[in-house]
Amino acid sequence: MMMAVTLLAIITLVFGMLRLAPGGPFDGERDLPPEIEANLKAAYHLDEPIVSQYFRYLGNLIQGDLGPSFRHQDFRVNELIAAGLPTSALLGTLSLLLALSLGLSLGVFGGMNPGSTLDNALMGFANLSIAAPTIITAPLMVLVFSIFLSWFPAGGDGGLMHYILPSMALALPFAGAIARLVRAGVIECRLEPYIVTARAKGLPERRIVYRHILPIAILPVLSFLGPMAAALLTGSIVIEQVFDLPGIGRYFVQAALNRDYTLVMGMVLVYSTLIVLFNFLVDLAYAWLDPRLKGA
Amino acid sequence: MFSCFKGLNAFLYQIGLGLVLLAIALNASSDVLHLGNDGEPSTLDPHRYNLRLEETLLNDLFMGLTTFTAAGQIAPGAAESWTQSEDGKTWTFKLRTDGRWSDGEPVTASDFVYSMRRLLTPSTAASLAYFLYMIENAEAINRGELPPEALGVTAEDPLTLRIRLAYPYPYLLERLLYPTAFPVPRHVIERVGKAWTKAEHWVSNGAYKLAEWRPQAYVEMVANPFFHAPAPIKTVRHHALASEQSGYNRFRSGELAAIPSFPASELTNMQQDRPKELRLAPLLSIMYLVFNTQKPPFHDPRVRKALGLVIQQQTITQRVLRNGSQPSLSITPSLIRDYQPVPLPHADLSQANRVGKARDLLAQAGYNQDHPLRVTLKHVNSLEGKKINLAIAAMWRQLGVETTLAQSELRAHFADLRQGSFEVAWAGWVGENNPEHYLSLLRSDIGNVNYGRYRNSAFDDRMAAARRQADATSRGELLRQAEQIMVADYPVVPLYMLASRRLVNASLQGWQDNVRNMHQSRYLFWSDAP
Amino acid sequence: MAFQRNRATQPRLQALGLPMTLLCVILGAALLAPWASDWGLQDIDWEAIQAPPSSSHWFGTDMVGRDLFTRTMAGARTSILVALIATSISLLIGILWGATAGYAGGRIDLLMMRVVDLLYGLPFILIVILLVVLFGRQPYLLFASLGAIFWLDTARIVRGQALRLRQADFVQAARCQGYRHTYIIVHHLLPNMRGPLLVCTTLTLPAIMLAESFISFLGLGIAEPNTSWGTLIADGTQSMEAAPWMLFFPGTLLIGCIWCCNTVGDRLQNQVSEGSHSLGKSHLRTPTR
Repeated sequence: MMMAVTLLAIITLVFGMLRLAPGGPFDGERDLPPEIEANLKAAYHLDEPIVSQYFRYLGNLIQGDLGPSFRHQDFRVNELIAAGLPTSALLGTLSLLLALSLGLSLGVFGGMNPGSTLDNALMGFANLSIAAPTIITAPLMVLVFSIFLSWFPAGGDGGLMHYILPSMALALPFAGAIARLVRAGVIECRLEPYIVTARAKGLPERRIVYRHILPIAILPVLSFLGPMAAALLTGSIVIEQVFDLPGIGRYFVQAALNRDYTLVMGMVLVYSTLIVLFNFLVDLAYAWLDPRLKGA
Repeated sequence: MFSCFKGLNAFLYQIGLGLVLLAIALNASSDVLHLGNDGEPSTLDPHRYNLRLEETLLNDLFMGLTTFTAAGQIAPGAAESWTQSEDGKTWTFKLRTDGRWSDGEPVTASDFVYSMRRLLTPSTAASLAYFLYMIENAEAINRGELPPEALGVTAEDPLTLRIRLAYPYPYLLERLLYPTAFPVPRHVIERVGKAWTKAEHWVSNGAYKLAEWRPQAYVEMVANPFFHAPAPIKTVRHHALASEQSGYNRFRSGELAAIPSFPASELTNMQQDRPKELRLAPLLSIMYLVFNTQKPPFHDPRVRKALGLVIQQQTITQRVLRNGSQPSLSITPSLIRDYQPVPLPHADLSQANRVGKARDLLAQAGYNQDHPLRVTLKHVNSLEGKKINLAIAAMWRQLGVETTLAQSELRAHFADLRQGSFEVAWAGWVGENNPEHYLSLLRSDIGNVNYGRYRNSAFDDRMAAARRQADATSRGELLRQAEQIMVADYPVVPLYMLASRRLVNASLQGWQDNVRNMHQSRYLFWSDAP
Repeated sequence: MAFQRNRATQPRLQALGLPMTLLCVILGAALLAPWASDWGLQDIDWEAIQAPPSSSHWFGTDMVGRDLFTRTMAGARTSILVALIATSISLLIGILWGATAGYAGGRIDLLMMRVVDLLYGLPFILIVILLVVLFGRQPYLLFASLGAIFWLDTARIVRGQALRLRQADFVQAARCQGYRHTYIIVHHLLPNMRGPLLVCTTLTLPAIMLAESFISFLGLGIAEPNTSWGTLIADGTQSMEAAPWMLFFPGTLLIGCIWCCNTVGDRLQNQVSEGSHSLGKSHLRTPTR
């Protein structure tokens, strides 16, 4: 219910913004005679009052139809999203996994050996990766790994190999953030009485880390995941542009510039749904991992 | 931890190596030509197209009455020959006997009649329908005043097409090169409607037919088995590039065989490192500054002339842009065939003279140090637009002119220009190989593409007289007189002609630079010895 | 005034060391640059277009021959100003919202924080992009919309603090004396959460700088002839092979600045949380990229 309200609110907000803004979808580079513009407007129902356009949109939406795209005339918004979503989803999932695995391993290592030279170096790297924006790192990575070293393809979608570099670029800052969160959690946890007890019992170190420390140390990471998912999605706008990936992120800015009303709406809708859904899943995971929350 | 990373690295490296080998193997076995295109097409319906990047695709998929050679010259296409009546108003085209749609159906004259009517029918909402307004009744049909059947295009027999014009138009053969005049498959459209542009229904009469269209990724085409001259390369993939930089990267990593452009800053590097692959060619186009002649103080020719005098076209192209563009002192590009453009009147003056003269003119118009001229210069939010306008502002500063720069997105920019809400603005026109196309931009009756609302009845009269002439030479003479009258008023300041800046794999043969900057894939083939 | 300051929540500035010094150097250079450079923001050196660093152009020149040192420093002023203004806006909204929720407690608190949770889940940066695209590239729009995104974290932190403080003796005492709620919030609650607020500010600043650079990369940032680090970096990435200095200088400064802010924030946070454990570690900023 809450989700539906959120989505309706954002649809209304964006719809209003689009229609209030100056410019329209048919302000092309070349001249358009008034009679042709009138024909075009009628074809897309833009000649109707805004309120009836809004309800027409909502009505179609309920039936699962996001409408025709203005700019991509041979496709409906549904088709465009269906074509682009797998690319964006693969990019996002790979980045998420990379950020988690890299962040967790760095964080656990640092947390178990705080103050060591390696810990300092790793945390320095983590801090740097948090501070370096992808708009700098992504083009640099293409230059180094694709052009100079020829390890990876430079762009486009031609299989898994094309996703490694982009997801690295996207995941790096999040990996740094996760590493720091986990490290702090591990350091705090390490000296808790039950860990000391476990160690006294002679449990192997590996078991202590996996069974006792990680589940607790990972909790702050979980609450970071929700906003992170949102940031991954928006981050993919830049990544898809730099790496020429045919995902949905590339549509967003162009669609807004072109006043492609339906496509912008579709994009915002997909992003919001994904974020809301992801936050819901994170909440579930949180409750599952943290026994203290179960009673509440 | 470290050892773990080492292992991971080695692992990734192996995967990478494996995939690279796999990719090489795939590449060798499949004969696919990977080309870069400027972006994602809006549509593959030739009657609804609007962009040059769509023209590239449509030229591979369709064949108009006329077409062009690899070098850009007009050549017979779906028509094998044509004749023109004495008064220049009736054209008769003889179609090829072996013209076939990609489903094997013959291409007939009535297909062309259907297609041209479709283009001009209001409900098609073709934004470039006016390209064929010279045909009898075309404009009225497009306005909805006459039925499509009134169009002056008729099928005399299955292989003879007659086009009647409203007025003589000697450049018709060139105008027919544009996709607006391409035939569309009536037998498919009447069956499946709007879905005819989907790959599963696709039928066209060009060298290739649509195989797959993955939005934002690529448009894949395969050779049309029924085309009269089968293309050497059987599969072509036009990749939609997100930016110049990404295309440049993908060309260098060997993923693309040709790209439409690359970052201008890399031109010098390419001239040194890849001279064989660099394709730098002048493009039929003109970039210019336009003054809003309705808005004081730009209604005063002295102000316009003063501002025009101090612009150094040479400096802009050679120092600032450095992208291969050629300076132009006339609004009609010097590349136009059989025409001698008229340069700005001050072309022969030395730089020092120009500045002095400009100062005098401004002083006469009432501007001096205490009362400086303030100008708002509008430009498009692109690197090129930014560079030019910063340079021009600096050139005007030596006259004491204070320039405010206003930038906006391409769409908003041209919308503002058409509405006349600007003082001085950057504009451009990529057009045809005839002077009329460019000079018409200044006709007072042309509508809002005359952005500056320039009006000079002597100029208009010459232009109208030229339109009545069927003979290209006498038409050119009248146009030249018109241009002579116009340049003295400085309604626009020509800046430069664009250059196409492509990279093409050295083993790809059949590619010829041309002023249209259009290349059909059917002319291309791989050579074994690079 | 019947309350004691909690010493531990007062930050010790001298412990901030290197990053703080660096920040001061960058800020100082940015402010003093107009006097240090011979070139104006728009002056074109026709003899040195896209030229590498030299004695006359310390950072080289850009694609039209403007001095990059001058522009980078002007960019620094803009970027820092955008960050400061947007941070102030976010603090203002965040404090008002969080303090009200925490101080009021109960159902009002629940409702207000529910709204925060809800907004957390929305792709706000998309809305900012839309606003900038649709309504033009006005700086104040950028300030306002960025500020309007980043208040959520502040609100959460302030609310946590307020919840804790409302039980404190001196607040209870003030209530008994009949002070108005607004007075209590302003005079008793806020001064006592100075530490956490300072941490929050130092962490919001870099987040906003990142967001600004992201928007500039998409071509939607500060308009010419003014500039910002994001705009300079966007230009730099477009010619990073032919003119690497165009990316190097603004890029290094931006990364350095963000790194310094983050480090200062961390150290402050460590100091603050030595005194009060309630702050938790939840306020790590969402990187906007």
